[in-house]
Amino acid sequence: MFELNKTLTYQGFLLLWGQIKEFLITLGLIGSDFSRVLAYTLSFKVNFKEVIEQSKRFAFDSLPISLTIVGMTSAIIAMQLAPELARQGGVDYIGTLSALVMVRELSAVMSGFAIISMVGSSFASELASMSVTEQINAMQVLRVDPVEYLIVPRFIAGALFMPVVFVIAGTFGLVCSGVVSHITAEVSLLNYVTSLWHGLYIRDIFIALLKSSFFGGTIALISCSCGYSTRGGAKEVGLATTKAVVWSFLAIAMWDFIFASIFYL
Amino acid sequence: MTLEVKNLVKVFDNKKVLNNISFKVESGQTLGVVGFSGSGKSTLLKIISGILPKDEGEIIYPKESDIAMAFQYSALFDFLNVYDNISFPLVERRDLRGKYTKEEISKIVSEKLKMVGLEGIEDKFPSELSGGMQKRVGFARAIVTNPQIILYDEPTAGLDPVTSTMIEDYIVQLKKELNASCVVVTHQLSTIKRAVDYVIMLYQGNIVFNGSVAELLQGRNEYARQFVSASIQGPMNIATK
Repeated sequence: MFELNKTLTYQGFLLLWGQIKEFLITLGLIGSDFSRVLAYTLSFKVNFKEVIEQSKRFAFDSLPISLTIVGMTSAIIAMQLAPELARQGGVDYIGTLSALVMVRELSAVMSGFAIISMVGSSFASELASMSVTEQINAMQVLRVDPVEYLIVPRFIAGALFMPVVFVIAGTFGLVCSGVVSHITAEVSLLNYVTSLWHGLYIRDIFIALLKSSFFGGTIALISCSCGYSTRGGAKEVGLATTKAVVWSFLAIAMWDFIFASIFYL
Repeated sequence: MTLEVKNLVKVFDNKKVLNNISFKVESGQTLGVVGFSGSGKSTLLKIISGILPKDEGEIIYPKESDIAMAFQYSALFDFLNVYDNISFPLVERRDLRGKYTKEEISKIVSEKLKMVGLEGIEDKFPSELSGGMQKRVGFARAIVTNPQIILYDEPTAGLDPVTSTMIEDYIVQLKKELNASCVVVTHQLSTIKRAVDYVIMLYQGNIVFNGSVAELLQGRNEYARQFVSASIQGPMNIATK
């Protein structure tokens, strides 16, 4: 006799429905946490001591890896572009192109990826561990709101200090690009800096700073939210961390697309 | 301060895990809550402490009173040392923020540590303490605001008999010193005998026994008899789902 619930299509549909349900629940949890974070932030009910503590993690812990990733990426791009542009007589555009690519896109996105791996994953696993060992419950019983104490400072630190990481990593990336261009295409540093200057627009820098701030806040919020809502044990802590990283990557890509569509379309 | 629970109902996935639970705990009294694993004991504590919402019923206690809870695995903040763990509510709670000076907080922390028989460990982190010490630091943190209602979730679980006895003595001592209403969820008969005044037994979300410790131990109630004799035979079946 034909049994619908044993068909491959039905099982596939169930799996898909499970994924959709999981997606919507996560989205709902992040949205709910965001509304509470926003309420605390806008009413200035902020634990500034914790903000400073978390800012150190955002600004310093992620800096070495951000510098490495942004520096390497910009060096690789310069390695590919500079000799080709030099062959075609475009030496004067190497700095300009580097500035456009680094400021508008790569510096913020690559720093974001570095921060997800360094800080976001650590936020998620930390809060998930706290949740499964009842530390978050204990905080509630002690009448300290975990959202106020744990998520708000991390969110503010992310929104404020991701732009700082962007500026430092971006500057380092442009220096790396200049050095590599000089080595691979014999572009003089003066020529590179002059060309770079023509590619730097105040508007681009402001947009990139704003974008970085959105990236930082989003990474902190998603990571904390995924960790905070964890129930279970060690396996769930791992799953929450993975979820936080995946969702943060997706969010960065989404914000990047939105910013590009609004400001550069 | 009296803690009163009236007709409390909690439903998870269409199943009543607590069904019309009612009891009253007067100041200076300790209620023991016993029952098989999964009978709803910890859920009851989580609802009283405000961690979980209730579906029906009332939990009545004076508004000005603090509720404290000592967790099964202590739930100390592992990123803070003992001093910061105990002073946490005094420093971070919105209504207490700025109320105490650093010197006052330091004095309160030392006093509470002394009450649980621990001194000079303020700088240690939870990972550097034994299970028994963690429990006692958890007690010290719970009582730092002088609560009038104290909830203990499996206070002696996983401890050796001697440390268990010490913990039971502290439960009695803290109740006397704070004149608090206490609720102790436990599986241990020794804890019931030493630290509890009267007992309720939960089975499948219902109260199946309500009486004094002596009545529980006499075993006239068939549920109490099965629990005390640790028998597989009896009205209670171990949950398999």
